[in-house]
Amino acid sequence: MPRYVMVIDQSRCIGCMSCVVACKRENDVPPEQYRTRVVEMVRGEFPRLRTEMRSELCNHCDDPPCVHICPTGASHQEKDGTVQIDRRKCVGCKACITACPYDVRYINEEHGYADKCSFCQHRLKEGKEPACVATCVGRSRIFGDLDDPNSEVSQLLRENSWRVLKPEVGTKPHVYYINQFPRKS
Amino acid sequence: MELHIVGTNAITYPAMHVWDWRVASYLFLGGLSGGLMIMSAVNYIRPKNGQNADTLNAWKIPVLIPILLTIGLIFLNLDLERKLHAFWFYLTFKPVSPMSWGAWIVLIIYPLLIAYALAALPDNITRTIKYPTIRNWADALKPHLLKLAKVNIIAGVLLAIYTGILLSSLVARPLWNSPILPVLFLTSGMSTGAALMIILAKTKEMKLFFTKIDIWLIMAELLILVLMFYGHYVGDAVHQQAIAPFFSTSHEFFPYFLSIVVLGICLPLAVVLKFLEVTGEHTEELTTSSLLMMNFSALLVLVGGAVIRFALVYAGQLSGYSSYL
Repeated sequence: MPRYVMVIDQSRCIGCMSCVVACKRENDVPPEQYRTRVVEMVRGEFPRLRTEMRSELCNHCDDPPCVHICPTGASHQEKDGTVQIDRRKCVGCKACITACPYDVRYINEEHGYADKCSFCQHRLKEGKEPACVATCVGRSRIFGDLDDPNSEVSQLLRENSWRVLKPEVGTKPHVYYINQFPRKS
Repeated sequence: MELHIVGTNAITYPAMHVWDWRVASYLFLGGLSGGLMIMSAVNYIRPKNGQNADTLNAWKIPVLIPILLTIGLIFLNLDLERKLHAFWFYLTFKPVSPMSWGAWIVLIIYPLLIAYALAALPDNITRTIKYPTIRNWADALKPHLLKLAKVNIIAGVLLAIYTGILLSSLVARPLWNSPILPVLFLTSGMSTGAALMIILAKTKEMKLFFTKIDIWLIMAELLILVLMFYGHYVGDAVHQQAIAPFFSTSHEFFPYFLSIVVLGICLPLAVVLKFLEVTGEHTEELTTSSLLMMNFSALLVLVGGAVIRFALVYAGQLSGYSSYL
């Protein structure tokens, strides 16, 4: 069984938002709601500024608080490590939204169930990449099986300095960020 | 530092308000019901010094508890986005989910509350029940009132504390993620329960008994509240930021600042008034002014309990790790 992860090479992101659009189109996300976002963070004092482009999405955590809190088992972990939602079981109590430290869940305003990035599970079953990965023009988003040492994600994580978001909350995320501003040697 | 957020989800980022007054009302009414279960049971169990402690009126409280809890659960149900799917709560038990525990606790507590209410009914009321089955049940349960009262104390503690456990388990919300929060909710629930007992009691003896209890509970509540804020204050940046709205006078955070002011007035004032009540001399029958003072101080406690739930539910959702990436 694969262990799916996403690697985001921040230095390759050009902020075109095509991932956001592809995700909305692929997953029929209602207007004004998003499963992924690109945060543009400008740091420093003028004129010495630098911009960080950070794609954010569900981290498909290894220790997911949304799954632990869900009272009905609607939020659950698949064997491939992804966190999925069984829409049939979701009562819309919103506990998972409050439990997520990454603020990536929302209530689908058309149907009332909690929703979020699924790593395009339906596409994975067809052997395809998630829509955001397939559309990423800068190849900033890379997807693959971490258990396969020859996969691109495994190689990238071996060869680069990386981080995860909010490691202090102990969720063990499966979305890795290759640092945009590596320290100069 | 300047922050731009592009393509974000307005509901979940950067400010998240998914639980509103309906959840806060449920937390208040759930805590009040739990507190009433404990206090009403204490009233039945305590030694009465030969007096028949308000038996003419005490039965109304066990009857009131399931009504209050039902109103709270109606609020909670109103908050569910998919109300018709609520049956899934009872097709699953998740040992690690406090919300799943809560759903099952409520299911177990309801029959207990009904049995308690039936057992507490005095004979003259039981005789007026039209349905013989219910009448027979009330008669059969009456001898077990004290046993039911004892079980109610445990169930009341569970009901009042679990709402706090639910919030405190959410590591993503630093304001809630405190082990002292369940204790605060339990103490506040018991305190509001005692306050409602004071308002509903008819006899001087019962009013003064629960006034004495409430003084200790309010003082404990105030101490726990201060300790909770202190715990966040000496914590890391996210915890310090989590309590900032309560101490900011800016327009945006004014309701939270106001809640601290209201709590700072209501609870200490209630303690002072109650202290005056228990130390003052009373006539055989309470005077109108004494009754007014007792009910007013009890009302202050109820307002304080509601303010704690509302302020914490809303402010907790402002707190998070989003600013610390």
